[in-house]
Amino acid sequence: MNNEFGPRGRVASAADDADRAVLVLVAAGQLDALQELYDKYRVMAYSIALRITADASLAEDVVQDAFLGAWRNASRYVEGKGSVKTWLLSIVHHRAVDAVRRRRPTVELPEREDVPPAAMTLPDIWPEVAGNLDREEIAAALTSLSDVQREALELAYFGGLTQQEIAVQTGTPLGTVKSRVRLGLLAMRRALVGTDGNAAGDAAGGDRSGDPGGGALA
Amino acid sequence: MNDEPMTHETARGLAAAYVLGALEPAEEAAVREHLQTCAEPHDEFAELGGVVPYLVELPGLELVEPPASLRDRIMAAAAADLAERTATVSPVPAESTPRLAEALAASAASPVAAPPPAAASPGPTLPFPSAAERSERSARRGASPLAWAARIAAVVAIVILGGWNLVLQGQLSDARAYDRAVAAVIDAAGKPGSQTVVLTPTKDSRGAGIAAVAPDGSVVMAMRDLPATAGSQVYEAWVIAAGSPAPVPVGSFTVGQAGTVAFTTTPVTTPPGSTIALSLEPGPGSTTPRGTIVATGVSALPKS
Repeated sequence: MNNEFGPRGRVASAADDADRAVLVLVAAGQLDALQELYDKYRVMAYSIALRITADASLAEDVVQDAFLGAWRNASRYVEGKGSVKTWLLSIVHHRAVDAVRRRRPTVELPEREDVPPAAMTLPDIWPEVAGNLDREEIAAALTSLSDVQREALELAYFGGLTQQEIAVQTGTPLGTVKSRVRLGLLAMRRALVGTDGNAAGDAAGGDRSGDPGGGALA
Repeated sequence: MNDEPMTHETARGLAAAYVLGALEPAEEAAVREHLQTCAEPHDEFAELGGVVPYLVELPGLELVEPPASLRDRIMAAAAADLAERTATVSPVPAESTPRLAEALAASAASPVAAPPPAAASPGPTLPFPSAAERSERSARRGASPLAWAARIAAVVAIVILGGWNLVLQGQLSDARAYDRAVAAVIDAAGKPGSQTVVLTPTKDSRGAGIAAVAPDGSVVMAMRDLPATAGSQVYEAWVIAAGSPAPVPVGSFTVGQAGTVAFTTTPVTTPPGSTIALSLEPGPGSTTPRGTIVATGVSALPKS
């Protein structure tokens, strides 16, 4: 990992720390800790699942599935250092996309793991920075996307479409879709973390003391 | 896609689509394999992956509160999973009762001690197998950890959820009382000749629990989630002996806001296969059920 964006090992936001403490208890099999996690993120989790599946009962199944996945795999997470919220919502997103694809018989399902790939929960300065973002900053980052980038990301994230499916649906060459997806995510990261190492270092320096982040969306 | 291992550069180039879940299945599998086997750094996966959750802020995500029942479903499933985990570690019935005690202790749920070791009586007092399962199981003793686990899971879910709800509500003395009630049932169920009963709510009702029928015919029960009684209302317990059509009243009790109760009925003849029922009556002294039947269960001898 480079440290272009700031020092590693910086203390994470208080919200992330609290989440991690709860997750340790979840890993130890404590039901009330699971309930705490659920209550904090249930609205976000359910809203994502509902948006992707467009089916209330399927969305409930997805959320249940995701929280049980988190319940069973919390010990695997604890070894990582990323944001619990990122991890949890990634599970919800994965499950919801899988559920949608299962309804489309033409698509072969990848054998996904129970939890997002380890790479997504690797230690990264990102969650620590992101933990201090508020909704306006995130919204501002999203406006830095071009219309076509936003469309591609939205079709992938909320539509559960693969790049190839996006290409077909939008009548765009596959190579172009790949660029939009990649450049779109890079643009968002740049906008959220800062345009260069210095700006990001500032963000990672802990000067933002506003919204604790974790609960802002939930 | 071919079967050649993916190069590091190719994998890096697919990072964005991978973290978005937008790769075709074969590509996704190849990237995952690469990540598991390649020692090079893969910074962009974590960096771009960290962005993905913020896509929920794309315009148009309506925040929707999930139905309250979803929490109960998840917590019940997690409690059952917890029980299964503890039970499957040790499929030998004789060791399963202590495992149950561990599960109880582990439910942070309960600051209260698990049933004392004395309650962990010898022999398989708890999975409440059906008659068919019993004959099947005697054919292959201890050979079915999964069936065993499922049975225990049902019971532990009742036990843990009851105590745990109370703890969450800050009703510690009620939680302790409930814990003692459960311990009393386990105690009674461990005596030779005792039968066990899982009481489940009838349609449109609330109230669940476990009970043991002692050799003298008295029923020791621990119930949770019963609606509180009001005024002169009482819950009446009934035994409908196997082969007899007539419900026999065996005692009544009231229930407070905690919704739990520990109760021991007057002894009546209760052969295996008898139905134990609870009804909510307008007042004490009913000789036939006039009110609503809220929970029922059928008694069975544990496998010996």
